[in-house]
Amino acid sequence: MRRALWLAGGLALVLWPWAAPPYFVFLTSLIVVNAIVAIGLNLLSGYTNQLSFGHAGFLAVGAYVAALLTIHAPALPVVAALLLAGLATALVGLALGIPCLRLEGLYLAMATLAFGFVVVEAILNLDWITRGNDGLRVPVARLGGLALASDTAKYYLVVAAGALMVWAAANIVRTRTGRALLAIRESEIAAQASGVHVAAYKTLAFVVSAFYTGVAGGLFAFIVGYLSPDAFDVFLSVDFVAMIVVGGLGSIPGSIVGAAVITVLYDTLAAFQNYRPLIFGVILIACMLFMPGGIASRVRFPVLKGDNA
Amino acid sequence: MTTAALVHVVVSGLATGSIYALMAISLVIVYNATRTLNFAQGEMLMVSTFVGWTAHQWLRLPLPLIMLVAVVAAALLGWLIERAVIRYSIAATHFDVLIITLGLSLVLRAAAGLVWTHDEFPFPSFFADRPIAIGPVRLAPVSLGIIGGSLLLMLALYGLFRGTRLGRAMRAVAQNQRAARLMGISVERVYSASWILAAVVGGIAGVLIAPVIFLSSKMGLVAINGFTAAVLGGFGSMPGAVVGGMLLGVIENLAPLYLPSGIKHSVPFLLMIAILLVRPSGVLGRARRRKV
Repeated sequence: MRRALWLAGGLALVLWPWAAPPYFVFLTSLIVVNAIVAIGLNLLSGYTNQLSFGHAGFLAVGAYVAALLTIHAPALPVVAALLLAGLATALVGLALGIPCLRLEGLYLAMATLAFGFVVVEAILNLDWITRGNDGLRVPVARLGGLALASDTAKYYLVVAAGALMVWAAANIVRTRTGRALLAIRESEIAAQASGVHVAAYKTLAFVVSAFYTGVAGGLFAFIVGYLSPDAFDVFLSVDFVAMIVVGGLGSIPGSIVGAAVITVLYDTLAAFQNYRPLIFGVILIACMLFMPGGIASRVRFPVLKGDNA
Repeated sequence: MTTAALVHVVVSGLATGSIYALMAISLVIVYNATRTLNFAQGEMLMVSTFVGWTAHQWLRLPLPLIMLVAVVAAALLGWLIERAVIRYSIAATHFDVLIITLGLSLVLRAAAGLVWTHDEFPFPSFFADRPIAIGPVRLAPVSLGIIGGSLLLMLALYGLFRGTRLGRAMRAVAQNQRAARLMGISVERVYSASWILAAVVGGIAGVLIAPVIFLSSKMGLVAINGFTAAVLGGFGSMPGAVVGGMLLGVIENLAPLYLPSGIKHSVPFLLMIAILLVRPSGVLGRARRRKV
């Protein structure tokens, strides 16, 4: 039964570009990118209870690294560019994560919020490489001799990367590491008393979360094709938080569903820009008051085991 | 840089610092009662200031009455939010309440945009534009007015916290909720009072600062500097909030003189990150011990 579901789901993802209009293919790519960020954020916030309001900053780092690498080294295969974007962002995550170890709850939320602002300011000020407010045109991603120019080609790239990231996350959370992260969420002191190295695992959660977001940033750069600092403002970080709150804190399928819901909603409400924050705000409040576990707490996902909503 | 010019920069720094201090005090009042950070504090300030401005537009009220209208609006809004939303999430974790106030800030800002548009509006000021010259030093009356008004408000708050029953109850709840409840203090009433008081302080700060930074749906962002100020002074400490606010205001105004201009906007954030790294308990705060 499970294998059949997996197969059907995989087949649907592969055939999707032939069934759907190009815009929906692009939208699906965007959903997958956001889902990768949501999973990364969830590993940090949902599993380890370290709330971050700065993931748009990580996304920006990944996106700009991938874009600049492709501009200055056009021969670089896209896989390497994405990997390097992820690693660079993970390094930034490490640099931010180690000092933030000492912070909890509100303080961490504020420090990450400040980080998000600093990244945007940095992009504006390093305009000799990032071109500041003018924005950066991202060249077409290349894989060997193949140029991934069409929406369909980009879609396959994104879906392949996404599948790999989901698989890796599912494996992280159901092993010793995942249990350690959950133990930290429930009680740091109890976790420490049980032999969990709290500092190491919190840092790890930060680094892995940043890596996920960095890779997603690289993919984002390639599917959108144009980067400017105002795309990575604090409201994007809030959208990411909304994704995991709606989908379910501490749930990987929840992250994906949450990313899909918020991305589609965002797109549907594009014509009603003034109402969008209103609706998102109401959704956040309602979720927290009436459905704290998000969608994942109400729906049984038959596909993935080891879910901890 | 002459001394006179330096004095001018420091005084205008103290003026913005006073506003940051008032924002920080609002945040700390709510934090001490409900142990949560109110992300919507800045938006509450913005809404109450807009209500005062609307009263000004419709009824041509004199400024003191505008202030009164804004304060009453702020109190109502604070009371409403506490009773309608926050009260139901009191059992939830800090994390959840944080996200709820985040949602509230989105809702308030969007609602304000729908009612009053996202444009910037000039706001009438209590003070004349012409600078006052004291010897070679030229000072803007609005700076002095903001500093004076804020200091008066801080004194009033000091009196409230020290001298009144409500103030003592609020301090007791801040120290130990369970013990306060056992001593017969209605913790729920302290919650309400704290949200109302914080909103009122914000409302006054809004009317004071609106002539300087213009009235707009974005003006709630001033609360972010309020966070920084509160962290700088030690989150949870009232004197810390005042010191932190003033310090932030002065540093923010002096920094562009000595640092490259590109870094100007990042100063509060870099300062916040730095203080969190070096001394998370702030300048005046005490390190909190955790117990199992």
